[in-house]
Parts: sequence; C-alpha cells; structure tokens
Amino acid sequence: MGLNLEFMKHTFMLALFGVPVTLKITMVALAIALPMGFFLALTKIYNRKISGAFSTLYVSFVRGTPMVLQVLIIYSLLPSVLNQILKSAGSSVNIFDLDPIMYAYVVFSLNTAAILAEVFRSALQTVNTGQLEAAHSAGLSTFHAFKRILVPQALVVAMPNICNATINLIKGSSLAFLMTVKDITAIAKIEAAYGYNYIEAYLDIFLIYLILCASIQLLFGWLEKKLGVYR
Amino acid sequence: MNRPFSPTFLFTVIPRLLPYLKVTFWVMGGTIFFGLIVGFLLAKAKLQGNVFSKTLAHGYTWALRCTPSIVLLFIVFYGLPKALLEIFGININSWHRGIFVVVTFSLLFAATFSEIMRSAFLAVEKGQYESAVSIGLSPFQAFQRIVFPQAVVVALPNLGNSFIILMKEGALAFTVGLVDVMGQGTLIISRNYGAYALETYLALALIYWLLTIALEKSFFFLEKRLSQGRKAWA
Repeated sequence: MGLNLEFMKHTFMLALFGVPVTLKITMVALAIALPMGFFLALTKIYNRKISGAFSTLYVSFVRGTPMVLQVLIIYSLLPSVLNQILKSAGSSVNIFDLDPIMYAYVVFSLNTAAILAEVFRSALQTVNTGQLEAAHSAGLSTFHAFKRILVPQALVVAMPNICNATINLIKGSSLAFLMTVKDITAIAKIEAAYGYNYIEAYLDIFLIYLILCASIQLLFGWLEKKLGVYR
Repeated sequence: MNRPFSPTFLFTVIPRLLPYLKVTFWVMGGTIFFGLIVGFLLAKAKLQGNVFSKTLAHGYTWALRCTPSIVLLFIVFYGLPKALLEIFGININSWHRGIFVVVTFSLLFAATFSEIMRSAFLAVEKGQYESAVSIGLSPFQAFQRIVFPQAVVVALPNLGNSFIILMKEGALAFTVGLVDVMGQGTLIISRNYGAYALETYLALALIYWLLTIALEKSFFFLEKRLSQGRKAWA
C-alpha cells in the first residue's frame, strides 16, 4: 500500500495553517516568560527570604513535573476558577467561550519562565561581581548597571540556553492540542482521523517541526553573532 | 466549579496510583538500556566514524532533538506495525503498547545520550589513552579501564538530568493508551466521569515532583562518591 502521498501533500498544506498558532504561542510565552524569568532569577541571586523561597519552590515544581500534567492542571483549573470569579463579580461573560489558546499562553509562559529563571541565574553569575561594583563606583545606578553592563554580558552567555528553551517551547506547544487549540498537531490529527492516515499526517508534522527548528536555530545563530560584540 | 476542591480525595487517590509506578519505571529502564546502546554507537560514529557515518549520526541527533516526543510517539505507534507488516510481513499489532513507548523514547534519547557521551569522552584527555596504550594495554583495555571510568564521572550530571527528563516525557505514554502512573490517573478520572480531575492531576504532579527530587539527590550523591579519587582541576 505504501504512503498516501497525495494525502500527505494535502495535509502538509493544511497543517501549515497551524504554524502561525504555534509561533503565536511561542512568541507570547517568550514575551511573558523572559521578564518573569529574569525577576525570578534576581530574587534567587539576591536571596530574598520570601520571594527567593517562592522562586526556588516554583522552579522546582515546574522542572519536577511533566509538561503534560502542567497543561492538564491549568486546563482543568483555570476555566472553573475564572468562571467563579466572573460569576461572583456579576459579569455575564461566558468564560467557556474563551479561545483555548489563552490557556496555552498561560501554561507555556509559566513553564518557560521557570526554565529561563535558571538560565538567567547561571548567566548572571558568570559575570564578575566586580563589574557591578565598578559600575556603581562610576556613578551608575543599579538599574543602569544592569541594563548597560550586566545584562548585555549575561545575555551572550545565556543565548545558547535561551535557544534551547525556545526549541523546547516549540516542541512543547505540540501538547496544546490537549487543550483543543488548533495547532499543527491538532490539524494533522483531525485530517488523519477521516481516513486513518495517521502515519502520513504525523510524518507531515515531523517535517514541519524540523523546518521550524532549523529556522529557530539559524535565527539564534545570527543573534549570537550580533550579541558577540559584547563579549 | 460546582463542588469545592477536595484535598482528601487528593490523598486517597495516591495509593491507587502508586502501584502503576512499576510501569513507569519499566519504560524508563528499557529506554535507558536500549538508548544507551544506540547512543554509544552514535557517539562512536561521531568520534571515530568516516565522513558518511559522522554526517548520519549528527543528522540523526539534530533531527531527533527537533522532534516533539508526542509526534515521534504517534509515528512509531501507528507507523511501526504498518511498516513491519508491509516490508517484512511481520504482524506486531498485538504487541504490548509499552514496547512502542520504549522504542520511541529509545530513539529519542539515544540522540541525547550520544551527545552526552561524546562530550564526556572528549573531556578525557587524549594523553590518558595514549599513555595507557604505550604501557602495553590493548586499545580495548585502555578504553575500559582508563577512559571509560573517567568519562562516566564527567557524564553523570548530564545523564541524571536526561533521566529526569525521560521520566517526565514518559508521562506522554498515556496518549497511546499505556497504563502507567499517568495512564492510571486518566483512567481514574474517566471512571469518575471527569470529576476530581484537578485533584488527580495534582496527586500525579506530587508523585512526579517527589520522584524528580529523589533522582536529583541520588545523582548528586553518586557524583560525589565517584569523583572522590579525582583531582579538582585548576
């Protein structure tokens, strides 16, 4: 029988419509997780009692549990909680009409923030403490010292790890289909279910992810070269 | 939420989940066994192979690192029986689901393991092997007695990390119907007609979290034990 190439081509084109969804999840999650991860890292570096302990616990939980579980927990928790809040606030908005992609944003932001917290922490620690002291003695405020001196240097070190986190995020976003988000995986799965052409559909997804990852790696390679001037 | 969150259910469900950890560990063990073998061959190809096998090994590693586990799991679960049936006429549709899961994760983690082993072997100085051979050890003996023990210590932290990742990724096996700890959790939820989903998921999260911490701690301990004889390099 072999592979149904006609179906494969057809599904490949359809599944491409899922790429923007995957990229949207990735972008939003990164946009939220980058600053959040940075602040989590700062609380750990400065060893604040309560916030530091919170970050440690949070990072440990996220890194210690499977991503599927995080997806399922948020997806079974958030809608009902939001519904409750809206109801008690007397709002007539039906939370169950909300695009499930919102929950995907929440899950993947929370997850990636924890991963990035560790990345930033180790990266900031590679920058010599003398740098901060020198910046202070030159009259820069702590904020300026971070912005102009510490972060640019730490970012160079962190880049490969951020690239890794991004790729893991893209791969992880394939779990969004469990939350009924119509991403690449979901589209191909639905197509496959008509004629039981699962292998063809999954080979399509496999190809699309390869292309996505290759582009991300190229992008980060370019970024690393650009940031390398701060080394 | 029509009923309040039930902490008691969370704790009564844990004993019902724990027996199925056995399956989770079997999948992990099988994957580590086969993954390490394939990973070693890949690492060997990367370090000593000719241009062809080198490219192949690097290409394999790159491709598998870009593949979401769930996609590979589905490809293997739906594709392998069909491929074997059509090419060799072997019918494996009746095989246990666990086998497909182990095959998937072995393929996936062989790529990770091969990178870990490659960097670990590269971290052992070449002079160690050369001096071992020069005092009369055979290349195999030099590898087995001199290079390998040192490489293991270097590889240990990364291996520990990847074992933890493997355990967590293993939770995906419930999507093809394997009843491991996660699969049992989803079964319990559907037996309750979808009620207590959150409590069950939280119980599962707790189990995985504790396991991760235990694995982390034991690898940390092992690393300390094994690096006792090693001089800290400047």
